[in-house]
Amino acid sequence: MLKTRTWIILLAAAAILLAAATCYTLSARRESAVAQVVLDGVVLREIDLSRVAEAYSFTVETPDGGRNVVSVEPGRIRVSDADCPDQTCVRQGWLSDQASPIVCAPHGLVISLKGAADADAATR
Amino acid sequence: MDTKRLTRLALLTAAALILFTVEAQLPPPVPIPGVKLGLANIVTVYVLFRYGARDALLVLLTRVLLGGMFAGSAVTLLFSLGGGLLCWLVTLPLRKLLTEKQLWVCGVLGAMAHDLGQMAVCVAVYGTAAVLVYLPALLLAGMATGLFTGLAAQGLLMKARGGF
Repeated sequence: MLKTRTWIILLAAAAILLAAATCYTLSARRESAVAQVVLDGVVLREIDLSRVAEAYSFTVETPDGGRNVVSVEPGRIRVSDADCPDQTCVRQGWLSDQASPIVCAPHGLVISLKGAADADAATR
Repeated sequence: MDTKRLTRLALLTAAALILFTVEAQLPPPVPIPGVKLGLANIVTVYVLFRYGARDALLVLLTRVLLGGMFAGSAVTLLFSLGGGLLCWLVTLPLRKLLTEKQLWVCGVLGAMAHDLGQMAVCVAVYGTAAVLVYLPALLLAGMATGLFTGLAAQGLLMKARGGF
């Protein structure tokens, strides 16, 4: 049996480490401007955000009837409307250079910027 | 399975299901995908400590399957299943390691295990490692929400020592 104080110290140390890791990962940036729209592991579209001249939007429909409206502007992309229950994807806002992707968990939709490693793999 | 146990487990499953369904209607606390309170975990932790691992697994599986049908999609059902099973596995040995007053630790570690299991399913289903960026944030949020649900389960266990 560990003492309660030992548990508190162990868990507090873990919390501090995780807080540092969270700050690091959520502020991480990506060089690439190529956004990937992935539904259930299948790449639907690849959009080079630096070459978008005019704003446009398109709708992604999931096999079981879900719907996400994706808006694209020069240099950035977001989910502007969705019929998922939690609306997290809409509230995440614009994705322009963040390493953290937009995720609509109920619909299995992920919009992420391709990493440098991915870009290398594509050109090879 | 005798009638008393069956009734008790059914009641507890119903309670967990209500918590799960009500929580699904609330907007998530922060716009980070995967973060939620996990209120239904109160019931899992309570059953684990009061009635044992087998009963906890039964309540957990029934709640996850029915909860997925009532208030989720096929994808979120898989997340709950992966998270729930890993949570159960991790909290299993804790029953012998923790005293009743340390029950909140089980809530914290269980929530973190749930996040790990959910993330593993997520990477497998989405087929992209990009979502792993959120793992530290999820684990941190899991510690906070797990502390809350763990304390709630602890309070429940202390209050309900007489019956139920």
